[in-house]
Amino acid sequence: MTAADAQVERPPWAIALLVETGAVLSSSLDLATTMRRVAQLTIPALADLCVIDLCNREGAISELAAASTDPERARGLEALRSRFPLDPSGGHPVARVIRSGEAVLMAEMSHELLRSFAQGSEHAGFMLASRYRSAIVAPLTARGRTLGALSTLRFADSEPYDQGELQLVSELARRAALAIDNAQLFSDVQAVEQRLDAVLRNLAEAITVVDDAGRTVFANQAALDLLGLRSSEELARAKPGAIMSRFIVLSEAGEELDLDAMPARRLFRGEPAPPLLVRNIVRATGEERWVVVRASPIVDPGSGRVMYAANVFEDVTQVKRAQLAEAFMAQASRVLASSMDYGETLQRVARLAAGQLADWCSVDVLDERGQLERVAVDHDDPDKLALAQQVDESYRPMLDEAFGVPEVIRTGVARIFNDITTEALASYARDAEHLRLLREMGMRDVIIVPLAAPARTLGAITLVSSHNGRRLTDADLDVAVRLGRRAGTAVESARLYTERSRIARVLQRALLPDSLPQMPGFEIAASYRPAGELNEVGGDFYDVFPRSDGRWMLVIGDVCGKGAEAASVTALARHTLRAVSMLDTPPAVMLESLHRMLRAQEPEGQMCTVCLVLAGRTRKRARLTIALAGHPRPLIVGPGETASAVGEPGTVLGLVDPIAISEVAVELCQGQTLLLYTDGVPEAARARAGSTPAPVPEQLSARAHGLALQGMLRAIETAAVDSADGHPHDDIALLGLRLAEAGGGLESSGR
Amino acid sequence: MSTEGEFHIVTRHGPDRLIIKLDGELDMVSCALLDEALADMDLDGWCAIVLDLRGVSFLDSTGLKAIFRVRGVVHGRGQKFAVTQGSAQVQRLLSLTGLDQHLDTIDTPDAVLA
Repeated sequence: MTAADAQVERPPWAIALLVETGAVLSSSLDLATTMRRVAQLTIPALADLCVIDLCNREGAISELAAASTDPERARGLEALRSRFPLDPSGGHPVARVIRSGEAVLMAEMSHELLRSFAQGSEHAGFMLASRYRSAIVAPLTARGRTLGALSTLRFADSEPYDQGELQLVSELARRAALAIDNAQLFSDVQAVEQRLDAVLRNLAEAITVVDDAGRTVFANQAALDLLGLRSSEELARAKPGAIMSRFIVLSEAGEELDLDAMPARRLFRGEPAPPLLVRNIVRATGEERWVVVRASPIVDPGSGRVMYAANVFEDVTQVKRAQLAEAFMAQASRVLASSMDYGETLQRVARLAAGQLADWCSVDVLDERGQLERVAVDHDDPDKLALAQQVDESYRPMLDEAFGVPEVIRTGVARIFNDITTEALASYARDAEHLRLLREMGMRDVIIVPLAAPARTLGAITLVSSHNGRRLTDADLDVAVRLGRRAGTAVESARLYTERSRIARVLQRALLPDSLPQMPGFEIAASYRPAGELNEVGGDFYDVFPRSDGRWMLVIGDVCGKGAEAASVTALARHTLRAVSMLDTPPAVMLESLHRMLRAQEPEGQMCTVCLVLAGRTRKRARLTIALAGHPRPLIVGPGETASAVGEPGTVLGLVDPIAISEVAVELCQGQTLLLYTDGVPEAARARAGSTPAPVPEQLSARAHGLALQGMLRAIETAAVDSADGHPHDDIALLGLRLAEAGGGLESSGR
Repeated sequence: MSTEGEFHIVTRHGPDRLIIKLDGELDMVSCALLDEALADMDLDGWCAIVLDLRGVSFLDSTGLKAIFRVRGVVHGRGQKFAVTQGSAQVQRLLSLTGLDQHLDTIDTPDAVLA
């Protein structure tokens, strides 16, 4: 009850009017019809003519509804209002009431008064002809805003209005105003909703709204597409949870996700719901999509309860695939670079691909005889691996086959086969058992790419996805082609490397004597260890040969550098020394000759260190003439655990002029060992420099002196390798000389 | 003693000389760096070029060749070339190869040249 209602005793018709008005206003008719019916209710008890004028936001006044005891009058007024709109700033009572917000009662209106607010003579004529007598104009005010005015008029034959009727009209106007305002708000909301709906439907992002029972109550077109639904009707019919069961939902790490982990479910439980990256696989087709799911709550303003959750699904499949492809290739590159053993490398590539790209990966390579060899096979599922191996062993691809691996190797063109049918398998299978195995594998999609080296196809990589995994797409084909190219290059370089190493070993042997000669009265031994297993040609060399005067020349040397260039200098050094030695040239002169040869070489700066020992046997001992060119001084080891370096340091050969070489004569006695070595020995010790004191050759050899000559060399070599933690930087060459045992044979040990 | 892989070249000027200070191990890898650095250096206008070897912890045969390449370039331009003493290993190798006889060795990079 309002204050107005309390003050006035109302006649029953007035109360009935308000009740009826309430009923009309609460009906959900459109605004114009509702207002026309409100106006009509005032006729005839409250008014002979009722007009509802509205002002819009810009202030212009327009008539909304008119009703009259005489329908002609109502239509006539509507026509006048449209031809002569009321001036919002003028003197017409409607304009004044809208401006002031106060109701006015004009109990008796004179002709002068009517003329004063007429919008022209026609309007004045209309009012006079209608015999306007009495009027009430009440503002339509709602929520503090004046929306227009409700006017009631009585003609000459009716009673003039009084204060009680002023209050009644004001009350009627207030109620009508609220209805008008609500209706306008509603239509505003409707317009917003329509626009929103249009926006949502056309958004590229998939949007759904779900209720707390898990029902999807709204889905835009993109969401329908994502969910694989043909229409929103299909959505409406679906049972809660039925839609999500069509998908395998995996986390980024590939673990199956419980639906309770989805952001919308979290919102309903009142938990924080950060965006979630998921991998959706459509169960029926194997199609895979990466989706970021974000959810926001729709809260009931009254209770604060989460009524709905709006999901936004952003399809990041392209971005994620590109990212994964890059990560995969980076991993593959690391694997490929990790070893020069290509069989092992390809097996690791297969494991990587079977884990990340497909379910099953195999690699076939053409061997040297042009036969297909399966070098690697892996399956994501260990049980299926055995099956894959069985298929491979029993039904190895044959080169003359029209399809599959042989075709890709022949053409060098990658192939993808999607949705392989049983018929296709049957036509490929060689017999019933083969077909049974292939079907057991559950092959759905197959990609075969060439293992492509720059100039030729070395083999093929096969990727297979089974029915319970994700499907292989053209995007996977692109990744696989890149993998094939990368792996092909790696295999080719591994093969070249192996080949080069083999050549290096052969060449190295050619640079060293096959076996040491028999030296009467002496015992001689040599050892040589190239740095690394698969090595380039090293620069170390040694040689032992007789002179015409009956003495022996021992040579050990080290050419700076490695590879073909060093090998050619090594050959030059060895053969030059042999040639000049034929004239029984003194060692210092031999070195001078080699130096001149090296200086004459192109390119300049071929550097070489050499130690020459000219050894002649006397009855009880041996006379040694030692000449050094930049080479470590040889050691005389023994007697006992002593060792001393002999010889005068001389200039390295090939680098600068002039060189200075001295010859030093020493004696070698029974029980002593002459040890010649290359700087691989101290070099090996350098690897541990700083951690433990480097074992110098003197200590190494003194400790090993009790052993037989060959054993002594082996012990020194082993100690040097150990001191470099098994990986000496440089070659290690050793040459040892002893007097033969007294009265003993002239045995020598070859290399 | 510097650790493996840390090789630095720093140049500075004396009144009459360009001083190229080497730090770390001078081996096959770092020699390439020295050769590159030398190619980029402006050697004009100096009476002498000094290789400061005091920070060289290790030298191998390729390192020797690199030092003598610098020496060859400098002598070819008619300038003086000198080195300072390196570590014990460097000095051992220089004397072992007899190359110390071919180098003008000074105590400090700014010492008076013969």
